[in-house]
Amino acid sequence: MLEARNITVKYGSRMAVSNVSLRLNPGELTAIVGPNGAGKSTMLRTLNGGLRASSGQIILDGMPVHNYPRRRVARRIAVVAQEADMRFPVTVLEFVLGGRFAWAGNSAWGWETAADLECAQRVLRETDLEKVSARLLSELSGGERQRAVLARALATEAANLLLDEPTANLDLAHQATILALVRGRCDADRASAVVVTHDMNLASEFADHILLMKEGATLAYGSPEDVLTPQLLERAFAIQVLVDAHPISGVPRITPVHRALGRL
Amino acid sequence: MTAMEKVQSPDHLEGARVTLRKTIIVCLLLLTGLLVLMVLMSLLGSEKLPVGGSICAIGTFGRGDCGLTSDQSLILLNIRWPRILLAASVGASLAAAGASYQALLRNPLAEPYLLGISNGAAVGTMLALVFLGAFEWARPLLAFSGALLATLLVYRLAQGRAGATPERLILAGVIVTTFLSSVIVFVTTLMDATRIRSFTFWLLGDLSGTTNELLVIGIVVAVGCTTVLAAKARSLNLLMLGERDAFDLGVEVSRVRLIVFVAASLLVGSSVASSGSVGYVGLVVPHLVRLSLGGDNRLIVPAAAVCGAVFVVAADSIARTVIAPRELPVGAITALIGAPLFIYLLKRG
Amino acid sequence: MVCVAGCSPREPQPANAQLRQITDEAGRAISVPLRIDRFVSLAPNLTEIVYAIGAGERLVGNTTYCDYPAEARQVEKVGDTLHPSIERIIALRPQVVLVSTASQLEAFTKQLNDQRIAVYVTDPHDLEGVFRSIANLGELLNQTSATQTLLIDLRSRSSAVENAVKSATPVTVFYQVSARPLYTAGRDSFVTDLIKRAGGKSVSAEVPGAWPRYSAESALAARPEAIILPTGGSMGDANSTVDEHLKNSPAVINRRVYKINDDHLSRPGPRSVAGLEALARALHPESFNQ
Repeated sequence: MLEARNITVKYGSRMAVSNVSLRLNPGELTAIVGPNGAGKSTMLRTLNGGLRASSGQIILDGMPVHNYPRRRVARRIAVVAQEADMRFPVTVLEFVLGGRFAWAGNSAWGWETAADLECAQRVLRETDLEKVSARLLSELSGGERQRAVLARALATEAANLLLDEPTANLDLAHQATILALVRGRCDADRASAVVVTHDMNLASEFADHILLMKEGATLAYGSPEDVLTPQLLERAFAIQVLVDAHPISGVPRITPVHRALGRL
Repeated sequence: MTAMEKVQSPDHLEGARVTLRKTIIVCLLLLTGLLVLMVLMSLLGSEKLPVGGSICAIGTFGRGDCGLTSDQSLILLNIRWPRILLAASVGASLAAAGASYQALLRNPLAEPYLLGISNGAAVGTMLALVFLGAFEWARPLLAFSGALLATLLVYRLAQGRAGATPERLILAGVIVTTFLSSVIVFVTTLMDATRIRSFTFWLLGDLSGTTNELLVIGIVVAVGCTTVLAAKARSLNLLMLGERDAFDLGVEVSRVRLIVFVAASLLVGSSVASSGSVGYVGLVVPHLVRLSLGGDNRLIVPAAAVCGAVFVVAADSIARTVIAPRELPVGAITALIGAPLFIYLLKRG
Repeated sequence: MVCVAGCSPREPQPANAQLRQITDEAGRAISVPLRIDRFVSLAPNLTEIVYAIGAGERLVGNTTYCDYPAEARQVEKVGDTLHPSIERIIALRPQVVLVSTASQLEAFTKQLNDQRIAVYVTDPHDLEGVFRSIANLGELLNQTSATQTLLIDLRSRSSAVENAVKSATPVTVFYQVSARPLYTAGRDSFVTDLIKRAGGKSVSAEVPGAWPRYSAESALAARPEAIILPTGGSMGDANSTVDEHLKNSPAVINRRVYKINDDHLSRPGPRSVAGLEALARALHPESFNQ
């Protein structure tokens, strides 16, 4: 279980995150939303120990995250962040096997075991990348590459997934596939996930909790119904929104009210 | 169906990744090639030696009676073989260091020579020669310190707000290289006039003059540090694709970086101390190896080391035979082969 | 009259009256004043020649390498042989600058020509060439009679040496300019001629170039009977040991390694004859012991 207690992160004198708390229970998916520069990605990086909080604590399974060796953290927390560098020739399979690094024991001399390979094949199948597993990463399309990054994170078999805009480059079908995959991990494997996203409707559809941030602080933290209200969203984004119920799922549906729309 | 799939899948994925078995086979093949090349090249030289007797002497490590005159066996075993072994250890050191720097710094252009690390080692060696000329061990020690300091300096200079971009790194390398070059020019100007020429030729790369101590140090460092780097290669695989990602996946980034910096600086330092700056080896060899063997550093680092040995042994054989009995500096040959090849590789993208 | 760019404060020298046309040893035609009152030397061997023929007091500039005779140290320095300062030379207002081919100063020569400073190039390849350079400089600097006396002395000393070793069997010599990397004297070096005159046969006598980098195995395979180490002069204690690879050569085994003052061997000037004498005594001690 991963928990952030009153986290404050400073870049020099600038406060990037101030006094934010977050709790990931097994099986739950939390979305972090908010305008650009709200501190969403900083919060995400702090959660796995990538950034040091100037005050507050990150507790991973009962112990501060910085007390763990990195390998032990990597077995419990997986991150899907920026795209990988493409200057060197690496195949998709090799890339995804990178997710097994944290599990390497001394017995295999630093080489992947049959179990590692099996795991990699499973996540390649799940992310629909089986056919391109022998291709070079640099030869993939943007969407395939993003799925490869997710596949590598899933290959860690970590119980906590942290995803930073995992759907940014994806078409509609793959956006849903990816979040469905993450949702599936939460439901079936009792994993927990945090997704930073700009897509309110995806957040609304897949998340159990939503953390709405503005200027580093918590504006609201709760269920989609509680957080995705016209008032809160207007305070966060300084734009009018229309919130109604999704005709099929019934979750809040957010439509920005543009000036053109407003004139109607 | 599932059973079939299970049997077939490893084969199906064989081409998509590097296995321990493949690494061992490739490295053994390359080592055999290196050994054959070394034997062949030891038969070449400005003096003609009887082929049969030479091979017999090599095979028996000079102990058997192979019908060579004492001069001939001196030439073969005391002049040619130490030089070929030195060429191999220098080539292996520079190529393994180059491959690791490239992975660690995520930059295929990173190279000991271009980053100014060779120059750092050269300044160290020069200071050892000028101030501690009497102490043989001071040379590799100061060369190593110079290489490590230059590495840290380049690394620090390259760190910007947004981390070290490849462009910043190359710029930092250029700055450190030119700065250290002027230090070298400055010190050589202060040195005895008559020593300048032999020193400037030494800077161009020279394998002819080394002591047995430096040769042994060179070989031990080459084998030891390449092994250390190969052992860190799985971490390098992740670092090569991004420092943050590697951290997230469980790599102790700063520890691995320190190990790689120290091991690579030792490699560069020992090879510069014994033979000056031999350029382009660390650039061209890993590049060609990646082109044919892929990107897994567990294979690339040792394979590049062996191929680097092949490259420098061949280049030095050219240097010592093409205008015999005169000789060329080996650095001139590696640059002559390396620079155009590198331009070609750049053009190919 | 308007002064244009590159204008020199000095008046151009009056035409032909006080000028003479000569050809230097590189075959370049140059014009120099009838009498030369100020000149610069850019090589230690040329400085030695100038003093030996009694023109030393007109020398207004030389290099940091010019340390012989002692008076030469007091002369204004214009840099070293490889990196002279053009500004310093121009400021000294010499009429002629003496240059040795060894210093490779083509670009430099052109700059001096642009300043109407004549450049005289010397190019000796053997001892006879050294004598010719001495005679030429004597003529250039109007010191013909002193030069005659000097040359008679030098020639008689060199003939004495050559006569002494004439009947002796030539000794195979390796001349080590430096070890690590190994350098020697080649076909175009005047040292190769000195060795021949001293009753020696240089291992590298036919190798192209003046100072080639040399293969250690070739040096060993030639089985040199004697090894010459030019050292102890400007070299200090550099080059005072034989290259590791030659430890088993006949020369080292028979203890026939000779250190000879490098200034006598590497400066083609009056002291070259002293170098010749030292070489001959080293290679053929029996010829000088009666």
